[in-house]
Amino acid sequence: MPLISLRNVTKSFPPARRGGSPVVAIDNVSLDIEPGEIYGVIGYSGAGKSTLVRLINALETTTSGEIVVDGQQVTGVPDRQLRKLRLDIGMIFQQFNLFNAKTVWNNVAYPLRIAGRSREDIEARVSELLEFVGLSDKASNYPEQLSGGQKQRVGIARALATSPKILLADEATSALDPETTHEVLGLLRRVNRELGITIVVITHEMDVVQSLATRVAVMDGGRIVEQGDVFDVFSNPQQAPSQRFVSTVVRGVPSPDEVAVLQERHSGRIVTFSFRDGDSSQASVFLDLAGAGIEFELIYGGINDIRGRAFGHLTLALVGPAPAIDSVLDAMRTRINVKELA
Amino acid sequence: MDELIPLTPQLWEATYETLYIVGLSLFFGGLGGLLLGLGLYTTRPGSLLGNRAVFGTLNVLVNIFRPIPFIIFLAAAQPLARAVTGTGIGNSAIIFTLSLAAAFGISRIVEQNLLTVQPGVIEAARSLGAGRLRIILTIIIPEALGPLILGYTFIFVALVDMSAVAGYVGGGGLGNFAIQYGYRQFNPVVTWAAVLVIILLVQAVQFLGNSLARKALRR
Ligand SMILES: Nc1ncnc2c1ncn2[C@@H]1O[C@H](COP(=O)(O)OP(=O)(O)O)[C@@H](O)[C@H]1O
Ligand SMILES: [Mg+2]
Repeated sequence: MPLISLRNVTKSFPPARRGGSPVVAIDNVSLDIEPGEIYGVIGYSGAGKSTLVRLINALETTTSGEIVVDGQQVTGVPDRQLRKLRLDIGMIFQQFNLFNAKTVWNNVAYPLRIAGRSREDIEARVSELLEFVGLSDKASNYPEQLSGGQKQRVGIARALATSPKILLADEATSALDPETTHEVLGLLRRVNRELGITIVVITHEMDVVQSLATRVAVMDGGRIVEQGDVFDVFSNPQQAPSQRFVSTVVRGVPSPDEVAVLQERHSGRIVTFSFRDGDSSQASVFLDLAGAGIEFELIYGGINDIRGRAFGHLTLALVGPAPAIDSVLDAMRTRINVKELA
Repeated sequence: MDELIPLTPQLWEATYETLYIVGLSLFFGGLGGLLLGLGLYTTRPGSLLGNRAVFGTLNVLVNIFRPIPFIIFLAAAQPLARAVTGTGIGNSAIIFTLSLAAAFGISRIVEQNLLTVQPGVIEAARSLGAGRLRIILTIIIPEALGPLILGYTFIFVALVDMSAVAGYVGGGGLGNFAIQYGYRQFNPVVTWAAVLVIILLVQAVQFLGNSLARKALRR
C-alpha cells in the first residue's frame, strides 16, 4: 500500500484581482509514493511543486480530489486532527525557516513540546538529533550564527524530532553552494537509509534528483507530465519538459546548431550511438568499427551512471568507404540506437 | 534659581505623578494596543485567522481614532471616562483616556512589527503541528520582540508628551507643574527645571528600551 496517495487532486487559488480567473496550481494530479523511497518532483518555478507538497501535510486544502497519507484521510478533516497528522510529516525549506529568536536546541525541541513529551524525553531526543546531524556543539547558538548548511541541518533535525514517517523537502538545497548541497544530500540519504524515512524531494535542479531519488515526477503547469523510475526518465525522457531537464545534466544528442559546429571541425560522417544498460556494450561498437577498417573519433557526448546503471550518448565522426560504414551501421541498428546526424 | 528651591517638593511630586500616569497608561494602553495589533495582524486576509470583515472593521476603527489630537480626544472622551472611572477629571480620567488613545497608536506599531516576521517561519511552525494560539505566543511575538520593545519605548516618550496636557482636566504631572508654577508665574527657571526632568526621564527610558531590545536582538 502506498504511504502517500493522491487521487485526481486539484488545487485552485482565488483570483488575485476581482474578476480575474482563479489560478489552477495543481491540475488533476494522481500520484502514489511507496514507503521507504525517495521520490523526486521536478519542475520549473511556478509549476506547482510547493503547492503539491503543502497539500500532502495539509498546509493547503484541496479544491477537489483525495489525499491519503499512511492510511489516514487528509482531505476534509478538522484542523485539530491535521495538527496530529503533521507530527508524522516533517518538512524542510529552501530558506530553512528556523526560529531566529530560539537557540538551535530550542528549535529542535519545539515540535517535541507541541507533542507534549516529558522534559527528560525532550532532553534525550534533542541530544540524539543534534548528534545525528553533527551539530552537538552548536546547541546553544542562534540560527544567525550558523552557515547555510548548518541551518539546513538544524532544519532537518527539527523536522525529524517527532520521528515522522515522511520528510518533505521543498528546494532544501537550492539556497546552498555545490559543496554544501552535496553534504546536505548526503545527510538526506542517511535519513532515508538509516532511519527508513520516506522522502519527497521538490527541486528545480536535475542533479539533485539524479543523485538522490529513486522515482521522479516531472511537473509542468500544475500537471504531472511524466513520472517513473529515475533511470528510465533520464535515459529516455518522453515529454518536452522532461527532455529539457534531462539535457541540463545529461549530454545527449547534439542539437542541429552543435552538429554544424562539429562538422566544421571534423571530417567524415557524424553518427550518434545511444546506450542503455542491457544494450550491447560500447566495446562491441568500437571493435566492429575498427574491424571494418573505419577510422573513428569521439567528438561529443558522455556516459552517465544512475545507481550503478549506465546510459549515454556518444557521437563519433567516422571516416572510411561509404559502403563499409553503411553495412556496419545497419548491423549495429539491430542492437542499439544509431542516428546519423550529418 | 531662588524661586525653584521652595518648589522642589512639588517638582518631585509632579515627576512622580507623570511616572504614575504614563506608567499605568503604558500598561493598559500597551495591553489594549497589543491585543488590537494582534487582531489587525491575525485577521488580515491571508494571515492566521484571515477575516476580511473583522480586519476591515478594526482597520477603519484605528484609522478614525488614531489621528485625533490628544487634547481634543481628551475633551471628546470625557463622558466615556466619567462612565468608566466615575470621574471626568483628575489623574484617573487622564489615565483612562491616555490608555485608550495610546491603544490605537500602539496597535499600528504592533501590527507593523509583527508583519516583519517571515511567513516561512510561521509555515514551519504550522508544519510542526503548532496551533494558532501557540504560534502567536511562542513564535510570532518572540520573533518580533526586539522591534516591539523599541516600539513601546517610542510610545512611552509619546505618552510623556501627551500627558503634559493633563492639567487641563485637573490632572497633575510635570506638564501641569511647568504651566502652573513656571509659565503662569512668569518664572522660566521653573519651566526649564520641568523640561530638564522630562529630558532626563526620556533619556533613561530610551536607554533602558535600547538595551532590552539589544538583548532581544542579540546585537
Ligand atoms: N497562496 C497562493 N495564492 C495564490 N496563488 C498561489 C499561492 N501559492 C501558489 N500560487 C500560484 O500557484 C502556482 C504554483 O506555485 P508553486 O506551487 O509555488 O510553484 P513552484 O513551487 O513549482 O514554484 C503559481 O502560479 C503561484 O503563483
Ligand atoms: Mg516552490
